[in-house]
Amino acid sequence: MKTLKEKLFQYITYLAALFTILCMLAIIFGIFREGLPLFRVVSLKQFIFTNNWYPTHAEPAFGALALIVGSLAVTLGALLIAVPLGLGSAIFISEIAGSKLREAIKPIIELLAGIPSVVYGLFGMAFLAPLVRQWFNLDTGLNVFSASIILGVMIVPIISSLSEDALSSVPSNIREASMALGATRSETIFRAVVPAARNGILCSVLLGFGRAVGETMVVLMVAGGAANIPTSIFEPTRPITSTIAAEMGETVVGDLHYQSLFALAILLFLITLATNLIAELVFSNRRR
Amino acid sequence: MVKPQLQTRKLNLWFGKNHVLHDVDLSVYSQKVTAMIGPSGCGKSTLLRCFNRMNDLIPETRITGDVLLGDEDIYKNGSDVSRIRAAVGMVFQKPNPFPKSIFNNVAYGLQIQGKIRRSELEERVEQSLKAAWLWEEVKDRLNQSAMSLSGGQQQRLCIARALANRPKVLLLDEPTSALDPQSTAKVEELCLELKKSVTILIVTHNVAQAGRISDYTAFMYLGDLVEFDKTEKMFTVPADKRTEAYLTGVFG
Amino acid sequence: MKVRNVIIILAILLIGVSAFAKTNKVVCSGSTTVLPIAQATAEAFMDKNPNVNISIRGGGSGVGIAALQNGTVHIANSSRPMKTKEMNQCRAKGIAPTAYAVALDGIAILTHKSNPVSNLTVKQLKAIYTGAIKNWKDLGGPNLPIVVISRDVASGTFEVFNEKALGGAKVISSALLLASNNAVVTSVADTPGAIGYAGLGYLGDGVKTVSVNNIVPSKATVQNDTYPLSRKLYMYTNGKAKGAVGSYIAFIQSPAGQKIVENEGFVALK
Repeated sequence: MKTLKEKLFQYITYLAALFTILCMLAIIFGIFREGLPLFRVVSLKQFIFTNNWYPTHAEPAFGALALIVGSLAVTLGALLIAVPLGLGSAIFISEIAGSKLREAIKPIIELLAGIPSVVYGLFGMAFLAPLVRQWFNLDTGLNVFSASIILGVMIVPIISSLSEDALSSVPSNIREASMALGATRSETIFRAVVPAARNGILCSVLLGFGRAVGETMVVLMVAGGAANIPTSIFEPTRPITSTIAAEMGETVVGDLHYQSLFALAILLFLITLATNLIAELVFSNRRR
Repeated sequence: MVKPQLQTRKLNLWFGKNHVLHDVDLSVYSQKVTAMIGPSGCGKSTLLRCFNRMNDLIPETRITGDVLLGDEDIYKNGSDVSRIRAAVGMVFQKPNPFPKSIFNNVAYGLQIQGKIRRSELEERVEQSLKAAWLWEEVKDRLNQSAMSLSGGQQQRLCIARALANRPKVLLLDEPTSALDPQSTAKVEELCLELKKSVTILIVTHNVAQAGRISDYTAFMYLGDLVEFDKTEKMFTVPADKRTEAYLTGVFG
Repeated sequence: MKVRNVIIILAILLIGVSAFAKTNKVVCSGSTTVLPIAQATAEAFMDKNPNVNISIRGGGSGVGIAALQNGTVHIANSSRPMKTKEMNQCRAKGIAPTAYAVALDGIAILTHKSNPVSNLTVKQLKAIYTGAIKNWKDLGGPNLPIVVISRDVASGTFEVFNEKALGGAKVISSALLLASNNAVVTSVADTPGAIGYAGLGYLGDGVKTVSVNNIVPSKATVQNDTYPLSRKLYMYTNGKAKGAVGSYIAFIQSPAGQKIVENEGFVALK
């Protein structure tokens, strides 16, 4: 009787795992099946390397270069903001704050992760963008800069909490060794602890990258949406995700435009897959 | 009377409300190995950590009395803790090399102290590794990770790392408790060699080890320094009954 | 990916189930512009006819028409006339789409309140949106770069604007493409150099409406078809609207229905 129960339980968990994998495969299969037919009409080279996105024009053009550059621009901008903020707060929480302060700050930073992205987007559109426009005397505040700030704040919790885990898991005898050699607290942090946690920190940055590159709502609302390769951080741009979200609602199933959006989804999927694989690799390296 | 290299006078220490060291008066003489023995929790490691102010890192630590390094009161207001720690090297119970290259482990303390020419740095690293009897084993792989070394090699690397600062005193906190007998013997021999140039204070659980390598022994019990004398004398005619009981293995 | 198919399957199931139920179920989907009209009139209609259940979804004009083609909805809401291509697809599937105009909508050209320019010709609009004119000073305004704001290329509002104002020309790639009428109004209100467009129903106090070819967008100019950027909003059915579907559409076209249309910020047919 007991073994039967045991077996049943094992099968149920097995089925749950199997189902999750099936979902994953179905998604991959779906986006590839809907997206790949585009390349019968548009060459891969044309799709990735030309800057000409007019999917609904009488003579439609599907050159996604501006969208790819847009995604990378806001993501890198976000990292420039989130890495110092996230790593800084991770160092503060793990190495400097006392236990009481740590217990107070950690949940607040993690709360940032719980705010829905549409709320970030609203804030960016209604408050940040007008301010950015006034501060820098710009034509519009909906641009790479504003989107990077909002995205950056959004991924701070990821970088902060994963980096903090990495820093906290550095054995305390490393800190002792450094202090005993005459290093001050800050020298110990920057020369011994952070280097020892390097892989974990790198991992957090990669996962932050993955999150930012896939974020949709914020860039849809704050990046401006111009399918244009930005020549400065104060120009609007149109990342891959916001293109898919904005255009998918009104395309007709199966036409070229529809396929092109799935082709963008494939591209996005490959980018995030690559970052996750690299992160996995870095992480397993750390374990060794 | 020879002037001690390290000395405590009426040293008391509390962790919060816990009174850990009681009126300790200890002298450590230069070019000698002084061993501190005693049962677990007797305060010997805490006492050791007073000499390079590592107890400062533990919150709610309170100290009264003096700790002298040469003529200097190291707990005097405004004294430079970093300089004191550089002058008093320390090796821990478990080998704790940084996850860096062998070279960078030894260079760490020197680089912390300030800018140093590359050629001088390389020379000092070589000297330190030679002094710790590690040079021959690692000279061809200085850029490899210190984590690739064996436990005994790692501990000698930690000794080399401490020696690179050219300390006056070397504090060893049960340095062989995590090592195999062969590596232990090597570290013990090394201590006897090193005492020619540096004062050594070693905490050990192993009474036989104290007998083998130390010139002086301090026996601590429940936060008191019970007895301090030349090792030969203490091991043959201990003055205190508690010392005798500990040495003969009645407790501890 | 197959979300659409799932929705379609659900819709088929709902229709199937409704065949057995006593209530008459009307399913419509399509243009988000028509959505508020459909919703408000459906509520009023269902109050009077409790045995009819109308369910309304958005998705966009193209989506609604595709759903009509697949037979999954009774009504496709559209903010534009059906394209020839869509007509042909319908015929291929044995669907005979019939158009019912339900309301009129004007696309207003918006600028920042501080902008002195009060009239633009369709020709000038085209020059602005294709990037030939880049500064307000070329239009008699201040020396201020024009910030071109457009709707997403897949939206019905864009399609009409593109057809009526641009004659199908490509919008300059540096134009900001925003995802909703509200986003356009908000951005224009915040941006001194901006020009944008939105349905008359979405105008707020924060923006200035300019006349086009010297005709101010208003109820009268939209109804008599003198305002160049006006359009009809449609409901498409398969064949002539009958039964509950027919009486629902008739209700919208009635004076009571048209009053609701005006309350929603659109222009009545007459």
